[in-house]
Amino acid sequence: MTYVLTWLALMALLALTFGSSYLPMGAWNSVANMAISCAKALLIAVFFMHLRQAGALLRLAACIGLLWLALLFGLSWTDFGTRTSSPAPWSSR
Amino acid sequence: MSTAARSDNALFGMWAFLATEVLFFGPLFFGYVHARLAQPDAFVSGSHHMHIVLGTLNTAILMTSSLTMALAVGAARKGGPPGRWLGLTALFGLVFLGIKAAEWVMEFGEAAGAAGGEARFYFLYYAMTGLHAVHLVIGLGVVAWLWRHAKRFDAAYHTPVEAGGLYWHFVDVVWLFLYPMFYLLERYSA
Repeated sequence: MTYVLTWLALMALLALTFGSSYLPMGAWNSVANMAISCAKALLIAVFFMHLRQAGALLRLAACIGLLWLALLFGLSWTDFGTRTSSPAPWSSR
Repeated sequence: MSTAARSDNALFGMWAFLATEVLFFGPLFFGYVHARLAQPDAFVSGSHHMHIVLGTLNTAILMTSSLTMALAVGAARKGGPPGRWLGLTALFGLVFLGIKAAEWVMEFGEAAGAAGGEARFYFLYYAMTGLHAVHLVIGLGVVAWLWRHAKRFDAAYHTPVEAGGLYWHFVDVVWLFLYPMFYLLERYSA
């Protein structure tokens, strides 16, 4: 029963993300789409992947990949995001 | 070591593997963010060439395959045979791949003629959905193996079904992010 309810919620969120993309919200369209995708991913992780019943070790393992991804995104962005504002001394531009 | 402890170890191993998979996909997601911020208009016009009905249908199919996979695990936990649900999961996975392949063929002409930012959009589209499809094919192999050995699993021993399920759900989750990134950009202006 929990599985079917989760699936119904996923389908409702799919309808929401599909429908919202036809409303002109500018940059907020992407924000809404990503928020809905995160909500769907959370539903799947908690109910389909059973993190709700899992112990601390499995929950930590599930989060750690995302933590590293966030760190690497942050580090990469400090590079790409500042290349024009503070070019390296040896940069030709 | 008890069966329960062994099962926990196996599931921990699968979650650790999935963490490496997150980092495997990660650079492509970063590349997407970087390229799209540099040329947002090219990404919007690229996105308008996507077949939104097929993409949305495929998202629904893949989420449904996750439901049947979860039901397979639920059946195995209760000691019932998971075979029927595993078969359905594989079927949905195959339908997804079929639709995806048809889309790739339909979009290829457009992609081959694209230049500049749109070419980058198509490169990321083919690279990311392609890598996702490779994962789905591997998932299909896992589900087929589980299906073949479905009679082995009962309420006391069904760790492979649980671990295979985790992988299948992960591949589904990746698609849930790819779908809005490629299909849903400024649809209102299409």
